[in-house]
Amino acid sequence: MAAATSDRDVKALDDELLSRKSGAITALMKALPSLPPDQRREFGSRVNAFKTEVEAALAARAAALAASRPPAGSVDVTLPARERAIGRVHPLMQVRQQVEDIFSRMGYEVLEGPEVEDDFHNFEALNMPPDHPARDMQDTLYLATPIVGGTWGAHRGPVPESQVRAATLLRTHTSAMQIRYMKTFPPPVRILVPGRVYRRDDLDLTHTPMFQQFEALVVGEGITMADLKGTLLTLARELFGDVAIRLRPSFFPYTEPSAEVDVSCRACGGTGCSVCKGTGWLEILGSGMVHPAVLEAVGYDTEKVSGFAFGTGVERLAMLKYGVDDIRLFYENDIRFLEQFPA
Amino acid sequence: MKVPYSWLRELTDVSAPAADVAATMSVRGFAVEGIDLQPDGDAVLDFEVTANRPDCMSVRGLAREVATAFGLPLREVPSLAELRDGPTPAVSIDIERPDLCPRYVGALATVAVGSSPDWLQTRLRACGVRPINNVVDVTNYVLLELGQPMHAFDLTRLSGPAIRVRTARPGETLRTLDGQERKLAPDMLVIADAEGATAVAGVMGGADSEVGPSTTRILLESAYFNPLSVRRTSKALGLKTEASMRFERGADPALPARAMARACAILREIGAGSADGTILDCHPAPPSARRLRLRRARLAGLLGVAVPDDDVARILDALGFALTPTADGWDVDVPTARVDVAREVDVIEEVARHHGFDKIPSTFPALTVPPPPSDPRVAQARHLRDLLTGAGFFEAVTFGFIGQQAAQPFGASDDLVALANPLSETFAVLRPSLLPGLLDGIGHNRRREQADVRLFEIGARFGKAAGERRALAFAWTGAADPPHWSAAPSPVTFFDAKAVVERVALALTVPVVVEPHEADYLVKGQSAAVVCGGQRLGMVGRVAPAVAEHHGIPREDVVFVAEIDLDAAVAHTRAATRVDPLPRFPSVSRDIALLVDDTLPAATLRHTIRIAAPPTLVQVREFDRYQGKGIPEGKLSLAVRLTFRSVERTLTDAEVQTAVDAVLGAVRTQHGAVQR
Repeated sequence: MAAATSDRDVKALDDELLSRKSGAITALMKALPSLPPDQRREFGSRVNAFKTEVEAALAARAAALAASRPPAGSVDVTLPARERAIGRVHPLMQVRQQVEDIFSRMGYEVLEGPEVEDDFHNFEALNMPPDHPARDMQDTLYLATPIVGGTWGAHRGPVPESQVRAATLLRTHTSAMQIRYMKTFPPPVRILVPGRVYRRDDLDLTHTPMFQQFEALVVGEGITMADLKGTLLTLARELFGDVAIRLRPSFFPYTEPSAEVDVSCRACGGTGCSVCKGTGWLEILGSGMVHPAVLEAVGYDTEKVSGFAFGTGVERLAMLKYGVDDIRLFYENDIRFLEQFPA
Repeated sequence: MKVPYSWLRELTDVSAPAADVAATMSVRGFAVEGIDLQPDGDAVLDFEVTANRPDCMSVRGLAREVATAFGLPLREVPSLAELRDGPTPAVSIDIERPDLCPRYVGALATVAVGSSPDWLQTRLRACGVRPINNVVDVTNYVLLELGQPMHAFDLTRLSGPAIRVRTARPGETLRTLDGQERKLAPDMLVIADAEGATAVAGVMGGADSEVGPSTTRILLESAYFNPLSVRRTSKALGLKTEASMRFERGADPALPARAMARACAILREIGAGSADGTILDCHPAPPSARRLRLRRARLAGLLGVAVPDDDVARILDALGFALTPTADGWDVDVPTARVDVAREVDVIEEVARHHGFDKIPSTFPALTVPPPPSDPRVAQARHLRDLLTGAGFFEAVTFGFIGQQAAQPFGASDDLVALANPLSETFAVLRPSLLPGLLDGIGHNRRREQADVRLFEIGARFGKAAGERRALAFAWTGAADPPHWSAAPSPVTFFDAKAVVERVALALTVPVVVEPHEADYLVKGQSAAVVCGGQRLGMVGRVAPAVAEHHGIPREDVVFVAEIDLDAAVAHTRAATRVDPLPRFPSVSRDIALLVDDTLPAATLRHTIRIAAPPTLVQVREFDRYQGKGIPEGKLSLAVRLTFRSVERTLTDAEVQTAVDAVLGAVRTQHGAVQR
């Protein structure tokens, strides 16, 4: 009976023992008349009892087998799910959104500006007059014919010059929005401008002719370089965890003093490794106190207000954060790359 | 700027290991990009000099910075003081354009051209300069040591002893030292003899007056040229030299005479020759000394930390500034070499740099006014990203410029915005649409075993007429749903793409309708416009096979795309949400199957039904569409569910039947549609 592991086995056993034609127990009953009369009674009752026992056992076995079977409507829960397709936010936009969140929480107005610009906003007002050698630092792409640029500031009501009337170039940095904003609104200023910028750089491991930047600008009474440092430290820790920062003197025409900002290398903890090229530090952005010439260009009183600004490429941050060693991966849009980032 | 450590130590007694000097100078504004150990045990430090510090494109300038950083004295470079006392040389210098050449120092020398001594050659090589001969090497040595570009002319190859500093004559040409024949423009400053130009001022000398083995007498030039003039000339000629790089950033106007004395001293020291008499210093426009005010309060106010007076004085003095104390700070006389220091804040930077940025504390700017709201476009982009990733799309980021040919089907050719100086043909025009970039992305993935690809992008697109506009676009190829064992895969259709468009419109709170419309890049009969209030906001449809193929997608692949002008949508967004009360009475539905012409758009039929029905008709929904057996040629059966509801009471069967009869009557008379 124990060997019967399916309904079929039970049926076979039933047939073998109880079949009307050829069952073994049936055969015993059929043999009854051939026995001497005095034995028939006892034989008959013993065979009947046995038959009842066998029937009960078969029924019990059948019931046990039925109980072990999955109930109607059962499913194999180990089969693959019916997936709904799910995409990903691009890693550069994930970093951008994270930066937007950090600054929103710090009370910054996050806003976008036009990607095509004019010379005044992109260069001249940022203390880079025509023929300034610093223009070589940002090789510019020019338009063959001027066009109207994108709008900005609609959320602040009617903004004069909310559109570039005759854009002649692709902006080389988001700093152009410093000028547009300050020319429109009086201090204090606390803005974050994320967006795409363009430079005449060939594609290689670390350069693309278009990349994502963000720019922070704070102007008001009594804004100091210490405020800049505190803000940068907050940003660095939000992005990279428990890191230290280091400011190194540098040069940008639109800030004075100017500083490159490094974060301590997380890969080695600052002792030097291949990621940080042995220095223990990784350069993440450029910063400085807004140059008085810039404040003057927008009509601010440099005796009353001061400010800081900083900006960087989102790619650089994303490469450090995610361990990406070829910037071009961000622009191939290969799904096998994109799906590695959190949904 | 490569500097041998031994050379630095000639000017200041720095004793720290080269690596320590590098580490210190990196936080003083001069990053060291590498340290190269020499066979003789010397180390060459490669300093990165920012564009504002031409004074540090010299060993002496960097030595001053090192001395300041390490608190050490700086030694002066020895020169020949007695040069000033000799007889006036037999050469005349006429500066026609003192605005472009405020100072020109000349000297004559008798020389024996040969090789420089080993020590000199070694130094030049360490700095990355190829030794030529002793005379040229001396000019290069002084350039490296002091930062003053110099030039030596072979006097016998000049036409006469009269030098003119003038702009080029129309059509004038010059063969420069690199052997190139240069066409000179009339705004270019040249050094000329009686015959013509012999050097491009501040950029490169002429080949005809080049110092060679047979040269015996030279004219040495040490001048100050206008930065802008040199920069323009250098750019126009496409000729960047050690000299032009220094002049265009701003040389030290006080340096030419000292550099000349230094050059003559070295010539004599190495036995290469000696000056004939004194030097000629034509100085028609002497520079005025700059005096700036440095206020103690301003210094502390900008840095956020007070710097002790002693430190201010020590740092500025070491950098060569002269200080006079005033009531609220100092008057500061700026050394002539420091062309970058033009206002108070520049002096503050000098103090901050050497005081150490690490001594500035970390504070946080006070919020003094309520923060203004952020640009809603930022939040909108996030909303759209969430919606589209939830719908299975990967966000792509593609370049803002594309090839002319790729752009063509997506924008009228006279509307494309070309770049004046594109990097290459593939980046020649600003994208008129986000779709070419997305199709490139589809093609890229398609070639990498990815058959099911959904991409979207949010970004700017450009046209001459409309200018810069923000748009959202998506592209979808392959299956409508991820493969599953329970069902056969079904490919993406127009209606999958339309559903995404409608969800986007819902997110934008813009009511849109989708109407037949053709576009060059879409397949006829499978393309539509997305319209709101009569204005076309975008397109949706199947990509034409030829266009797909251009982006590396097989012709037979089905790709659906859509693009929405986000800037145009803004004008149609619903202002605010007002909630309707929930229905209090039950609805009644009736299904009707209509036999209609197969060319009749569903929207037209739906419109007729809505007009014919009473206001209790709250929804019309097509739920089955059949063509084939039992349906005549040119006809199809469309099953429509009509839902009625009153806000006042429960509708009676008779009322509903009357409404359905009205609908049936209208579709019969207007479209010849009969109930099956």
